[in-house]
Amino acid sequence: METLSVSAHASEKRQKRPRSGAISVRGRLAVASRVLAALIGGYLLTALTSICLAQFLPLVRAEAVVLAMTLSFLVYLPAVLWCFACGTAWRAWFGLLLPSAVLAALYASARWLL
Amino acid sequence: MLLATLLCYVGFSALCLSMNRHSEDLTGRSFSVSRAKALRLLGWAALLASLWVALASQTLGQALVQWSAALMGSAVVLVFVMSYWPRLALSLAGVGVLLCPVFAFLQLLA
Amino acid sequence: MKEGFRQAMAWLHTWAGLTFGWLLFAIFMTGTLSYFKNEITQWTQPEIVPHEISAADGVNRAQQWLGENAPDAKRWFIRLPDERSPELGVSWTPAKGRFEERSLDSLTGVPVQVRQSMGGEFFYRFHFQLQMPYPWGRWLASLAAMVMFVALISGIITHKKIFKEFFTFRPRKGQRTWLDGHNAVAVLVLPFHLMITYSSLVIFMTMIMPLSILTTYGKNTQGVFDDLFPAFKTEQAAADRAPLASIAPMFEVAAEKWPGSRVGLITVNNPGSANASVTMTRHGADHIPHEPGTALVFDGVSAELKNESNMGAASLMLAGGLYGLHMGHFAGPLLRWLYFLAGIGGTAMIGTGLVIWLGKRRLKHAKSGVLPFELRLVEMLNVASMSGLMLAVVSFFWANRLLPVSFTGRSDWEVKTFFCVWGVALLHAFARVFLRDGRSAWREQLTLAALLYCALPILDMATAGGYLLASLKQGNLTLVALDMTALATGIFLAWGALRFRGDGKIVLASKLTPAVQEAR
Repeated sequence: METLSVSAHASEKRQKRPRSGAISVRGRLAVASRVLAALIGGYLLTALTSICLAQFLPLVRAEAVVLAMTLSFLVYLPAVLWCFACGTAWRAWFGLLLPSAVLAALYASARWLL
Repeated sequence: MLLATLLCYVGFSALCLSMNRHSEDLTGRSFSVSRAKALRLLGWAALLASLWVALASQTLGQALVQWSAALMGSAVVLVFVMSYWPRLALSLAGVGVLLCPVFAFLQLLA
Repeated sequence: MKEGFRQAMAWLHTWAGLTFGWLLFAIFMTGTLSYFKNEITQWTQPEIVPHEISAADGVNRAQQWLGENAPDAKRWFIRLPDERSPELGVSWTPAKGRFEERSLDSLTGVPVQVRQSMGGEFFYRFHFQLQMPYPWGRWLASLAAMVMFVALISGIITHKKIFKEFFTFRPRKGQRTWLDGHNAVAVLVLPFHLMITYSSLVIFMTMIMPLSILTTYGKNTQGVFDDLFPAFKTEQAAADRAPLASIAPMFEVAAEKWPGSRVGLITVNNPGSANASVTMTRHGADHIPHEPGTALVFDGVSAELKNESNMGAASLMLAGGLYGLHMGHFAGPLLRWLYFLAGIGGTAMIGTGLVIWLGKRRLKHAKSGVLPFELRLVEMLNVASMSGLMLAVVSFFWANRLLPVSFTGRSDWEVKTFFCVWGVALLHAFARVFLRDGRSAWREQLTLAALLYCALPILDMATAGGYLLASLKQGNLTLVALDMTALATGIFLAWGALRFRGDGKIVLASKLTPAVQEAR
């Protein structure tokens, strides 16, 4: 059964936890940042995925949209997991914003350039 | 669907017996490695057979839904019965093994 | 790295589970009740008696009544009675004003004198709207669904021994038993939990993930619905009037097009105008996927079949299939009970999780015997959201039987009773947890709930015994089944209440031992 006390190694990577066991303000901010990243960044990545899927799926427009929306939540999930599994809160944001930018660029090029 | 459910129960019982931690509770002794492997094979075979039986008797959608229900239901029943009345769980599996060919025969006739 | 990942997932599972657990318990509990919403409505409106009538007779009576009482409506809706719902339901969107609905007696075609009650619809709507104004409740419920999805997957990742402990349940071992129980209802019923959670996201996807509609349809967002459900496209009424053709003969065409399937919803668009049309969809009980796109459209004046649409594309069947699996309209009695039990399992999964969260941390304070504020807060919310909700649910049924049958607003009062009782339960939990201890909160609420659930059949016989006996004479077991389910629930709650008797000091000691042995 997993213990919930964070191991020494992990605590260095994640929250800064002083001897008393209380979580520092910095630690709380890091968690809050990850939560926001999961919420906002995750939504952004998911939405862009659905937009790209709707654009590129070789289906009739309505069907492409429905399938795109249906599948998109499969992206939201790993996005959220990433935000809490990665090393730092910065990486959480970066790991979501970078693929989002790529997808946005992909869609933009398909829509307005080609 | 009754046959499919029985096969699920029998299959899960076999898989359960193949595990050391449970074989002792259920039978009072642990099995050898080869026997455990045989039980595991039998268990998976029974589960696959139950899926095949389900698919054979109705449309794809209905079959998958009902098979999932049978799978979950038989697993819950097994774990619950096993935790309080281990001998009963084993007897039920035994009865299941005996009834399976009976129901299979009946289904073929129908 | 693997261990760090698993630990992160454990942390995520724990905190996501806690913060949304109370809300998700309520959603799962009311959602589970919703599988029997038609039956609950039968119980709350026992005046509506099932009659054997043909579809043609039913629709004729509905059409006649609507023609006399809502001739200028923009749209009529007719729902014929079926094996789960004896109501001949008519509703309409008037030219001006709010949507209206009535229950007609299926034999006489006049509105039934029935006590106003939301019945099962209350629990159904609550579980996805949370009694909050549109659209906020749905957004919160959708957020909860996403968190549920995260909790499920993070739980799977965290559960290192998911295969080894697949069949493991060790009773009478304190905290270990709770965790085994949590794992058992989670893992053994996992396909259902994953399906329910993901499908709930799909159901609201056009609201929560609409951007792909905007990028492909631009401003014409209605376009996607018109493309998917062409039979339901809204048309302006033509200037000319023309009498509406009889709907009953259209059933024969439907029977031909859909062998083995009944007609579900009948929609009349612009009744009485020259371009009136009648749309029919298949009855939900006859197929698994939710297919509003499969419809027949008849010309309302000539009764000719104008249009036939079939929603068969694989991409649409995925979404429709998930939607249909969530709703479970297709489920017959046995499968419906299994849906119900699986829902109870999901509710128990969440409940046991909340109890474990607190139980583990409480052990750290066992020596001092005083719980810090945060843990008391969690305990209060655990009590209020679980036993408090059980109290609220049963009081809805009590209100239904005790409130006078004909007073306006009685339906609102049933709902008010639900929330008032829930509120009082929260206050009681607060008072007990912060001024005495959590055990007394649990014990008292579970005892009261047990009494109310067990007494429900007696209340039913005392206040509506005539309907109960009449239904049994007809061979309809719905009312008695609800009473028996309430009794069984009461017995279970009584067992729960008994476990909280005494001051718990001895029990705590035995809970410490397994925890010490547990060091893994």
